[in-house]
Amino acid sequence: MLMNTPRTVDIEVTTHCNLRCRYCYFFNNPAVDYRELPTDEWLKFFDELGSLGVMNVVLAGGEPFIRDDLPILLEGIIRNRMRFSFLSNGTLIDDKIADFIAGTHRCEYIQVSVDGSCAKIHDSCRGKGSFARAIRGIRTLQRHRINVAVRVTIHRNNVTDLENIAHFLLEELNIPSFGTNSAGYLGTCRLNAEDVMLNIQERQLAMTTLLHLAEKYPGRISATAGPLYEGKEWRRMEDARTQGAPIFSNGGRLTGCGCPSNKITVRADGAIIPCAMLAHDELGRINQDSLEGIWKKSPALTQLRNRHTIPLNKFKFCADCSYIPYCTGNCPGLAYTITGEINHPSPDACLRRFSEAGGIMS
Amino acid sequence: MNQIDRPITNPIVVLREESDDWAILFNPDTANAVGINPVGVAVWKMIDGKRRIKDIVLEIKASFKNASESAFEEISSFVDTLAKHNYVGYELKTTTIVE
Repeated sequence: MLMNTPRTVDIEVTTHCNLRCRYCYFFNNPAVDYRELPTDEWLKFFDELGSLGVMNVVLAGGEPFIRDDLPILLEGIIRNRMRFSFLSNGTLIDDKIADFIAGTHRCEYIQVSVDGSCAKIHDSCRGKGSFARAIRGIRTLQRHRINVAVRVTIHRNNVTDLENIAHFLLEELNIPSFGTNSAGYLGTCRLNAEDVMLNIQERQLAMTTLLHLAEKYPGRISATAGPLYEGKEWRRMEDARTQGAPIFSNGGRLTGCGCPSNKITVRADGAIIPCAMLAHDELGRINQDSLEGIWKKSPALTQLRNRHTIPLNKFKFCADCSYIPYCTGNCPGLAYTITGEINHPSPDACLRRFSEAGGIMS
Repeated sequence: MNQIDRPITNPIVVLREESDDWAILFNPDTANAVGINPVGVAVWKMIDGKRRIKDIVLEIKASFKNASESAFEEISSFVDTLAKHNYVGYELKTTTIVE
């Protein structure tokens, strides 16, 4: 049953960023109007979110800490009885803003991206000096007892550094846990795909290493996409296939994404979109269209939610695939970027394609 | 007892009503949340600092034809649980100290 309103709203609160990461999904998307709204527009929108009972706002960008009016925006969120989180590169976090955030008692977490165990590796894709500043940001948050989440994006330059990264984050920085993903074929990454995206051998190495690390640090390394997720899911799919197991409850159809049922995203220019991975898919505009109306009645959103009814065996891409009963078709965002269609399985996370390209499950 | 027997909701708590008539009570200060059924939702809306528990029970019995015989105990227990977790409170009586 569909929720009355989204529980969480992701907001790309700015189009500005002090870094130019080589695999950033946000920049260089031709469908996006890189324009941002003034403070009062966001405050008005937060009032609407409060009236709808939205529980959490996730502030992203760009780099959300680049906004000078951040305390005013946070006060708007607090006034409307919501909690907030951040997706950040960590480099602009100082004692002043950390103190303010800690004082609100409303911060769920601040996710900081760390892609290497040392400056040489982290900075290779994020720019010189970014590692030192990100770690300083994390230590500042820790000093203010703010919940820090770390995201490691795996790419060609750090795939052999994963053990060091895990040691650094979990044992030296004492981060409770971290999440992983890999550079995906979106935004700026499309321009640098050859240099940053994992090839089959590197993907295999990342999977093997992360599965080992996940056993070494139980419950402390997670993934909802990327090599660790694929390593676990593909192993489960391969076991089911070889044993002739019954179809998975979410298998055989495009069930790969549940996000449109509990959250929605707003671009920096105020366009309401299903998620950051589907930034082209404008459903309406904040402060012009009713969010509740869009949530309940948008044909595009309804179509996305009904994606789960589409069987995989109708796609030529999946013809004769023995993994169909165990496959979800994966992320619609990546499916769209790669194939131009939302209602299509994502070739990026296809186990058969991985195997045919020479990939071997560990 | 030096507290008034009329419960009142914590103003910071959000009642998030869902399409199946159930709801979530969410305290953004603590991040605590609890699911409540349609009767709980009706009770929550009557906790206004003016009604006593027995007033609320009478109104619930009038609204829900299948309300059980033990409605008073159940609703009292429900409100006590909400109070224990700071979703509701009771106004304290003011006492004048005469020296």
